[in-house]
Amino acid sequence: MEDMILQVNHLSKSFGTHEVLRDIDFTVKKGDVTSIIGASGSGKSTLLRCINLLEIPTSGEILYHGKNVVAKGFNAPAYRSHVGMVFQSFNLFNNMTVLENCIVGQRKVLKRSREEARAHAMQYLEKVGMTPYINAKPRQISGGQKQRVAIARALAMDPEVLLFDEPTSALDPEMVGEVLSVMRSLAQEGMTMLVVTHEMAFARDVSNHVVYMNGGVICEEGSPEALFGDPQKQETRDFLSRFRNN
Amino acid sequence: MEKLTQLCADIAKLWAKYGGSYLTGMRNTLVLALVATAIGCVIGFVCGILNTIPCTDRDPLPKRILLRLIRIIVRVYVEVFRGTPMVLQAVFIYYGLPYFTDNAVKFTNIWVAAMLVVSINTGAYMAESVRGGIISIDPGQTEGAKAIGMTHVQTMLHVILPQALRNIMPQIGNNFIINVKDTSVMFIIGFPDFFAAHRAAVGASYLYFPSATVEMAGYLCMTLIASFLLRWVEKKMDGSSNYELVQEDQLTMTAGTYNHPDKGTPFDEHSREYQSERRRRGRKGVR
Repeated sequence: MEDMILQVNHLSKSFGTHEVLRDIDFTVKKGDVTSIIGASGSGKSTLLRCINLLEIPTSGEILYHGKNVVAKGFNAPAYRSHVGMVFQSFNLFNNMTVLENCIVGQRKVLKRSREEARAHAMQYLEKVGMTPYINAKPRQISGGQKQRVAIARALAMDPEVLLFDEPTSALDPEMVGEVLSVMRSLAQEGMTMLVVTHEMAFARDVSNHVVYMNGGVICEEGSPEALFGDPQKQETRDFLSRFRNN
Repeated sequence: MEKLTQLCADIAKLWAKYGGSYLTGMRNTLVLALVATAIGCVIGFVCGILNTIPCTDRDPLPKRILLRLIRIIVRVYVEVFRGTPMVLQAVFIYYGLPYFTDNAVKFTNIWVAAMLVVSINTGAYMAESVRGGIISIDPGQTEGAKAIGMTHVQTMLHVILPQALRNIMPQIGNNFIINVKDTSVMFIIGFPDFFAAHRAAVGASYLYFPSATVEMAGYLCMTLIASFLLRWVEKKMDGSSNYELVQEDQLTMTAGTYNHPDKGTPFDEHSREYQSERRRRGRKGVR
């Protein structure tokens, strides 16, 4: 059980009377690439936001290396620095250049020296192919480029697990490819990833575990071969058939 | 025409006699407005920041009570000083303090009194501007900062406030210009500003209209220069709209680099650079 990073037990979340997540159980092991698929409004993003404590779950627990992060008095900022997140809307800091975006967290949170942070940031910016743009402001680069910088920013913190919240949903079709290829290479390097996505090809080819959510519960989960090849539930079959028809 | 020449003559007469006091008045007005706006901004930022500290029901009870208390105090301050005329605030504070303390506490320096009143007044307006500036920043910025492990203070300091400051810059400018004009009410406690110079001049010369003309022109000059400078500062804050591509590999060309057509490009087999590069490599025996 040593390589268990995250363990979600009986997680529920309500906004007022609206129950968004109901009794969610799942685990993330080191090196796992888990894709969470499902229709809009099925609670995928809320689940991811709960894991990063951007939303506080109504009940249940989230264990990070056996420690419950939902407990009162838990140091949320320190936990978040180990769990990177990439957003649908990029959320790059608009007042900083590309390079500063990737440095500020290392400097302020991890207390690295300027030189060390810069070298580390450059290493990841190179990986995502953004080194020529280090002096650009976020408003001056394209959506796909922003998302690649956002990935580099998250990676520069050396996270144990990286959460992706629909990273390609706000992008033009031709920009989706550049972001997915970065994610693909990360997966191949053994990065632990949890990806909420509508890219079925990515879920099928890259991840080793797929979770299908429907109506706030985990409807079906399993290996991509099993889930895409031989779905057990009718809801899963219906959902997937809509993608096959396209 | 005759009237205009008369006016010019009167202004010349006034200026010859009171030019110095007009100029000192202008200087005093500008210094007071500048310092009071700066202190007011500080007060406004403190209030705005205190007002936007997130408070959830997961926080411990003492913290929640403290935050609630702070919000009430800031609210009362803002409502009182935004809702009463500055002229009265000046009188109230300048004469009120000695009155309540039996002359134990009183203002010995008129500058301190004037700055206090104008700063507190500006602070009340700025508190709301800053709060507006902070909540106008996309929540995604906060989430992005939180997601890399920043605390609330770090998020505010490095991400939110720099952007909020840029957004409320026009408001700060507004307040400065308002202060340049409205410090004229400080004559009530005897502050020697530009308007006080007018009162002194007309008291002795009875040239009301010519002096008012000087005042009008003087105030307009000050505010026009101020708005020009503020625009310039805003432009500076926005930074360059261009950025330089950074080349790591000197042989790759970035898009948009342009050479004269006759010269060709390094990718052009007929180009001199390409040929000389090939010759150089050939001599070295590399490849």
